[in-house]
Amino acid sequence: MEREIELRLVARLKAGDAAAFEAIYEAYRPRLFSFLVRLSRRRDVAEDLLEEAWLRLVSRAETLADDARLGPWLFTVARNLYFSWRRSRALDPSRTTELDPAWPASGRGDSPFEAAAHGELERRVEAALARLSSSDRELLLLVGVEGLTPMEVAGICGLPAVTVRARLHRARERLAVEMGAGRAVPRARAG
Amino acid sequence: MSIEERWDEVEEGLRALRAHDASEARVERIRDRCLAALEARRPRLRPARAVGWRDWLEPAFALGLGALYLAEAVTRALAVYR
Repeated sequence: MEREIELRLVARLKAGDAAAFEAIYEAYRPRLFSFLVRLSRRRDVAEDLLEEAWLRLVSRAETLADDARLGPWLFTVARNLYFSWRRSRALDPSRTTELDPAWPASGRGDSPFEAAAHGELERRVEAALARLSSSDRELLLLVGVEGLTPMEVAGICGLPAVTVRARLHRARERLAVEMGAGRAVPRARAG
Repeated sequence: MSIEERWDEVEEGLRALRAHDASEARVERIRDRCLAALEARRPRLRPARAVGWRDWLEPAFALGLGALYLAEAVTRALAVYR
C-alpha cells in the first residue's frame, strides 16, 4: 500500500470512516490471516485471533498516531494476541502439532494447506515451516512472506534489529535444512 | 545443491506461498462487528452542538463582576491618592 494512501486511510479511520475501514480490511485481512494460521497452525484459533485484532484496530483507531504504519501495527497486534493465546493455554509450541492433527508433524502426511498447495515447492515450504519453532516461523513469515524489513520486524517482536537479523539468518538455514529433508523423502513414501 | 541454490530456493519458496483467508461467514462477521464498533464511536466524534445564549451568560456575568471589582479598586486607590 502506498504511503500517501495509507496516511489518508489512517486519518479517515481515526475520524470513524467506515469506507476507510473496508479498504484496510480488504487489503490486510488475507495477509493477517495467513500469518496467524501459519503461526498457530490452527484455522479456528487463527480466525478468533483475526477477529480480535480487527476489533482492536477499530476500538483503538482514535489513538493511532497520524503517521502510523498499518501493516506493522496490525502484525504487532496479531503476534501479541497469538503469544497471549499460547500463554493462556500454557501451550508448549512443540505440543501444538499434537493438538491439531490437521497440521503435519514430520512425515505424518499432508495438512489441508499442503493439500491445497499447487506447486511442489509451495508444499515443501508449508511442510518445512510447520516443523520450525514459532519464533523462527514468525520471522520468516514477516520478512520472507510479508516483505517487512528487519527493522519493522524488530519493532513488532520487541527485539533489537541486529538480533532479528541474526535470528532470521538461523531461521533461513533451518528452513533450508527442513526443505532439503522434505525433498529427500518422496511424497508417496512419506504419507 | 549448492548453498546459494538452497538459499534461493528458500526465498523463492517463501514468496510462492499463497495467501489464505478466513471463511466467508467469519469475514462477514468480523466486518459487521467492526462497522458496528465504528458506528458506536460516531457520537463521540461528532462536533459539539452550537453554543447557545446560556453558555455565554456565566462567563459574561463573571466578566461583569470582575469589571465592577476592578472599578471599585481603582476608585478606592484614587481616593487614597487624593
